[in-house]
Amino acid sequence: MTDTPLLEVRNLKVHFKLPGSLLRPRSGGSVKAVDGVSFHLKRGETLGLVGESGCGKSTTGMAVLRMTPVTDGEIHIDGEDITHLKGRALRPLRRRMQMIYQDPFGALDPRMRVLDIIGEPLKVHKLVTGRKAYRQEVLRLMELVGLLPDMCERYPHEFSGGQRQRIGIARALAAQPDVIICDEPVSALDVSIQAQIINLLKDLQEELGLTYLFVAHDLAVVRHICDRVMVMYLGHVVEVADSEALYTNPQHPYTQALMSAIPIPDPRAESRREVDPSIEGEVPSPVNPPSGCPFHPRCKHATEVCSRVAPTLRETTDGHAVSCHLYEPETEAESLVRVASIA
Amino acid sequence: MKDAVANQPANTPGETMQKDPVGGLLQVEHLRTVFRQGRREVKAVDGISFSVNPGETLAIVGESGSGKSMTAMSLLRLIPSPPGEIIDGDVFFGGRNLLDMSEDELRDVRGNEIAMIFQEPMTSLNPVLTVRQQLAEPMRVHRKVKEEDIEARCLDLLRQVRIPDPETRLDAYPHQFSGGMRQRVMIAMALACEPRLLIADEPTTALDVTVQAQILELLKDLTRQHGSSMILITHDLGVVARYADRINVMYAGRIVESGTAREIFEQPRHPYTLGLINSMPRLDASEKARLLPIEGQPPDLGNLPTGCAFHPRCPFAVDQCRQQDPPLEPYQGHHLKACWVNVDD
Repeated sequence: MTDTPLLEVRNLKVHFKLPGSLLRPRSGGSVKAVDGVSFHLKRGETLGLVGESGCGKSTTGMAVLRMTPVTDGEIHIDGEDITHLKGRALRPLRRRMQMIYQDPFGALDPRMRVLDIIGEPLKVHKLVTGRKAYRQEVLRLMELVGLLPDMCERYPHEFSGGQRQRIGIARALAAQPDVIICDEPVSALDVSIQAQIINLLKDLQEELGLTYLFVAHDLAVVRHICDRVMVMYLGHVVEVADSEALYTNPQHPYTQALMSAIPIPDPRAESRREVDPSIEGEVPSPVNPPSGCPFHPRCKHATEVCSRVAPTLRETTDGHAVSCHLYEPETEAESLVRVASIA
Repeated sequence: MKDAVANQPANTPGETMQKDPVGGLLQVEHLRTVFRQGRREVKAVDGISFSVNPGETLAIVGESGSGKSMTAMSLLRLIPSPPGEIIDGDVFFGGRNLLDMSEDELRDVRGNEIAMIFQEPMTSLNPVLTVRQQLAEPMRVHRKVKEEDIEARCLDLLRQVRIPDPETRLDAYPHQFSGGMRQRVMIAMALACEPRLLIADEPTTALDVTVQAQILELLKDLTRQHGSSMILITHDLGVVARYADRINVMYAGRIVESGTAREIFEQPRHPYTLGLINSMPRLDASEKARLLPIEGQPPDLGNLPTGCAFHPRCPFAVDQCRQQDPPLEPYQGHHLKACWVNVDD
C-alpha cells in the first residue's frame, strides 16, 4: 500500500445543459448535478456515497467512470490524470474500473447466455486465450460469486434477482478491476437476499483486495460495508468522515436529519425515538437550487448567512469534514458585516 | 383502545391492541387467490385468516412474491380476473361479506368505508384532472356533499395532509407536484370519506427517506385522529417496528407468524421471521457488523416445495417439515406461528 490514493477526484463538476425555447436556444440554463466534489479513495477501502435522489451521487460515479461528460475538475487514477482521455486511450481505464448496477433485470442482455455475459470483458480486454481457458475462467468466476457452474448455459430470465446480481458481480470481476463502482447494488433486492449480496461483496473485497465506491441511499446498508462515508446534497458534499465517526457523531444538520428519518427494526427503541420534525419539505429542484448553503431552506439552524454564503467543506476533527456555517469560525470580515447589519 | 391501554402498563405500539379478534372490524377467513397461466396455477394467497380491530394498525410484512399485496387487492376484489381468481374464503367487513357483494354494493364500500393508498402516486392519480376534481370525486359519489361545500372540504383535506398553500394548489395538476406531495394528495383522497379502514400498499417505497418519515408520521397522526384502522403493507421492518400494532409475516402466500410488534421483534418464533430480522441492516449496528442472511432463493410460487414452503432455506428444518405443512397455531395467546420446530431465543 502506498500513500498515493488509488482514485482522486478534485473539484469535480458535472453540469447538464437544459433545452431552451425555440427562439432562445441558450435560455435553458443548466442543472448542476455535481458541483465541486472532491474526494479520494485508498486501495482496498470502501467509500460510501449517500444522499437522496437528485443529490448527484450516481452522476459522480458515472463521471469517475468517464461515462458522462465532465464539465470541470480532475480525476486521477494512481496519480494519472484521466479526465481528458479519449477514444482508444480510455479502453485500459475501462478495464481498471468496473460497475455493478442497481437493476439486475435491466443490466443483463436477455439474449446472452450467462457464460457470454460474464465472459464478455475477458474477450474485450483479451484477458484469456483459447476457448478452454475462457470457459474455465468464467466457471471460476461463477464459483467465486456463489453460482453453480452448471448454470452457465442458461439465460438471465431463468435467474432470480439475487442470482442476477451475482452474475453482474462476476462480470465486473472478470476484468480484474482496481475499482468497482457499485451503484445501489442491493436496493432492488429483498432484505434476505440483500444481506447475501452485502456479505458477498465484503468477502470478495477481503479475498481480492478490491476497492469499492459504494453509491447508495440507504444509510443502514452503507454502515455495514463502508470504511468511510460521504454525504451529498444537491450536488455538494455536506459531510465526509470515517464510518464510525459519522454514525456516532453526525455533524451536519442534514446528516442528522437523514439518520433520524430511518426507523430502527426494534419496537422498543422506536417507541422512545422521536422523529425529528425539523426537516420539512423536500429536496429542492437542482435546476433552481437555493442560494448559499443548498440545505438552508430545510435546516432548523439556518441563519441569515446560510442563505447568502455557501459554506466550504472543512475538517473539524481528524478525517471528519463538514460543510456548514455552524462549524465555521467567523472571519473578521463576516463579524464586521454582522455587527454592521445589527447596527 | 381505551380498555386495552388500561390493562397494559406500557403504552407502546406493540401492546396497545390485544383484543378478541372475533370483534374485529375486518375478518378474513381462509382467503385463497390463485393466478392461472395455461395449466400452471400460482397460489398467490394460500388460505390465510386474520382480522383487523377498530383503530389498530396491522402490518403485513414479506418479501416480493410473498402475497402481501395480493392479499390487499383480494380484500377489495381488485384482482385482475382472468388470470387471477379468488377461489375460496370470506372477507367480513362490518358484518357483510365483501366477497358475496354485487359490483354495485362493493362500489359503495371502495373509497368510502375502505380506502386504499398505492405505492406509485404518479400512476394512481389521473394526470388530466386537477387535484380539486380528483379530491371531490369520492365526496360527490359516496357522500353527496353539496357543491357549495366541496371547495371548503377539499381545502380542509389538503390542510390535513399539510400541503402548503392549499388555495393555489387546488387547481394544479398531479405533474406539478413532487413525489411526496403527490402521495399527500393520494392520502387526502383516501381520507375524503373518512374511511373506517385504510389499506396502504407500500405507501413510501418510492420516496426518499426524509419524505418517507414525513408521510408515515402523517398517516399515523391522521388514522389516530379519525380512529381509522390501517393495513400497512411493507417490506421494511424498520417501518413496521415504528408504526404497527400487530404484524402478519407472510411467506409464499401464507401467514407464517402473527403477533404484536413486540412479540414479533423480541421473540420471533418462526425461522423466517428470525432470518428477516437478522438480515436487516441496522443503523444502530456496531461498525461493519456482518449480516446473517437467509440462504437460498425465494420459492417459485407455481412449484412450491412439499411440506413447509420455507424448509429448503430453513436452518432448523427437520424431516416433518419436508412432509407436512405446518398450520398457523397459537404459540402464546394471540401470538401465532406456523412451524413444527420450537425456535428458542
